[in-house]
Amino acid sequence: MIQVTHLQKVYNGVTVLNIPALTINQGESFGLVGNNGAGKTTFFRLILDLIEASAGEVTVDNARVMRNDEWKNKVGSFLDEGFLIDFLTPEEYFAFVGKLYGKSEGDIALFLESVKDFFNGEITGTKKLIRDFSKGNQKKIGIAAALLGEPKILILDEPFTALDPSSQIRLKRLLNELQTRHNMTMLISSHDLNHVTEVCKRIVILEKGIVVKDLQTREDTLKELEDYFAV
Amino acid sequence: MIITDLIKHEWQKGLRAQGFYRNLAVNLLLGFFALYIAAVLLFLGFSLDNILESADNTRNPFQLFSGGLLYIFLGGLSFRFFMQQLNTINLPPYQVLPVKRSMLVNFLLIKPLFSPINYFQLLITVPFAVQSVSKYYNGAVAFRFVLLSVLLVWFNSLMASFLKRRFGSGFVSFILVVLVLGLIASLEYFNVLSFFDISMKLFQSLILNPLGLFIPMAAVVGAYLLNRMFFSQNYYAEKFNSKIKAQKNVNANFSFLNKFGVIGEIISLEIKLILRHKRTKSILYMSAFFLLYGLLFYTRDEYQSSGGLLFFVAMFITGLLMLMFGQWVISWDSNHFDSLMTKNIPIQTYLKANYYLLIAFNVICFVLTTPYFFFGMKIVYMHLAAFVFNSGVNVYLLLFLTTYNTKRIDLTKSSAMNYQGTTFKSFLIVFPIMFVPMILVGIISALFSLTVALWALTVLGLAGMVMHKQLIGLCVSQFNRRKYALAEGFRQSE
Repeated sequence: MIQVTHLQKVYNGVTVLNIPALTINQGESFGLVGNNGAGKTTFFRLILDLIEASAGEVTVDNARVMRNDEWKNKVGSFLDEGFLIDFLTPEEYFAFVGKLYGKSEGDIALFLESVKDFFNGEITGTKKLIRDFSKGNQKKIGIAAALLGEPKILILDEPFTALDPSSQIRLKRLLNELQTRHNMTMLISSHDLNHVTEVCKRIVILEKGIVVKDLQTREDTLKELEDYFAV
Repeated sequence: MIITDLIKHEWQKGLRAQGFYRNLAVNLLLGFFALYIAAVLLFLGFSLDNILESADNTRNPFQLFSGGLLYIFLGGLSFRFFMQQLNTINLPPYQVLPVKRSMLVNFLLIKPLFSPINYFQLLITVPFAVQSVSKYYNGAVAFRFVLLSVLLVWFNSLMASFLKRRFGSGFVSFILVVLVLGLIASLEYFNVLSFFDISMKLFQSLILNPLGLFIPMAAVVGAYLLNRMFFSQNYYAEKFNSKIKAQKNVNANFSFLNKFGVIGEIISLEIKLILRHKRTKSILYMSAFFLLYGLLFYTRDEYQSSGGLLFFVAMFITGLLMLMFGQWVISWDSNHFDSLMTKNIPIQTYLKANYYLLIAFNVICFVLTTPYFFFGMKIVYMHLAAFVFNSGVNVYLLLFLTTYNTKRIDLTKSSAMNYQGTTFKSFLIVFPIMFVPMILVGIISALFSLTVALWALTVLGLAGMVMHKQLIGLCVSQFNRRKYALAEGFRQSE
């Protein structure tokens, strides 16, 4: 599904990411952990073709993502607020994104119904512009918009931060449901080891741009991660 | 004194802003522009006496000036109402410190009065007072005249910020102000009620009477108190910093654009972007004034022989919105650029949407400038040629070159007269688009004739339209080449 070969990113002579080979299969839930500056966001941006790789390439379904448009209808993503269009109301934004993925108004209404729980009644129906929402609610809007196109691959950067405890639990439930029901491939980065082990079946630790551990989640994985990051 | 600390912080904020030194070239350019304006005003100040002397025999220059003063005053007030930025300081860090509230309010109110822009007018009034007013009256009157001009500016500044905070400068108030000014002007024009006479009597009596200046002084104090009153009623910081947030979204529904699929969606997104940000809206308002630019040139005989210059004007007004916005069509998406790049929007569709938007702008401007056709067939041909050239050549040039504007534009933070995101490149981009055609027309009409020149540009424009597919393709590959630089630049906030 996603194939990474000899991927390198160099900024001013410093290699910030170096992944010789990595494959993420269809339906896999891929958790990415690492301290600040480990290269998590850089990796996601490379997959989303937002920065240029210094060497190597990323392919989605055997097609290179670089300077290409094809992958865009298979991938839903939310990394930060730059992925929102903040002068729209949430409804307008969902309508816009829905149109891009060829969804009818009925489809969009149905989708919004399905994430009603996650929104907790705070997102739709207020005429507020996205820029006037709190960080947590903006995050919910962004995650929902990423799911709206029924992507085969979902990429989320730190989805749990800024969410309130109930929303974190709802998000975990939602993500697990998408995995079991739609067999969606997921790439999720997180600083919260608890959450990421609960959601992801495979966990990769990045350190200074290099994959140092690649684990299948088992019962003792959380313990292993905690030991790794303990100072 | 705390107030001096506050002023110092403001200075530091300006000098330590990340973009300040990087943009030194632009700042210098703006500085030169200010000097140029100052020189022009000074020149006007020294020649005003002569101009007014020859304008009317029955009244002396000072009487004429005070007759026009009411118009200057009202015009200035409305201009400030739309253009003057509300003075804001980043309050939260100060609010938690033991700084008196009234101190902060005073700072907000008084600081704009120290802006040098307020005193540019002295370049006109002081020479005029020395040359003319003291000649007809005496030194004391001349002094009071200058004082009055300063007081009026203060009053305008305070009043404008009060009105702006109180009512906000939305579209409705824009229409209202234009209507009121239009009404006053037409009453004058049709000799129903002469505000000129009223103004003359009013300001003459204020200045000639030694104690007359107490009235404008009282007005300034009154305006100040109005502001204070506003702040005492709107105690909290959220209302403190800008006008009351009248959250009236332009819920315009551009559903007719739905027919055009994704391209229509993106166009309607861009239109919403223009209508929901102050900075873009104020460009829109300003464009309305720029449309009148043609009146300055088409009416004057001395320009009629200069085909190049007239074509420049024709191109400017028929392509006004495209030229005002075209350079920013990509960078104003900088806030949500990542969103557009990762959603299911092929680059070609994205650029095509912007292309159609610019073409629509051209059509609108062309239609709006058709009244100029009354100035003769020459203007008709000029506008047609300019329209075709703009839509066939310049539009692609803009889409191509705008990929070099990699600076993030933060539309949320800014309003009128904001140059954030303008770099030296922005000026370079304008050059081939604005001046090359003008030079072309100048050369060809000198060698052959104006008709040949206009035909040449029309043919170029038509060729561009015919080769639409190839040219858009060229823009797409350019965009793909520049995409990472754009994304990178847009992520850098100042």
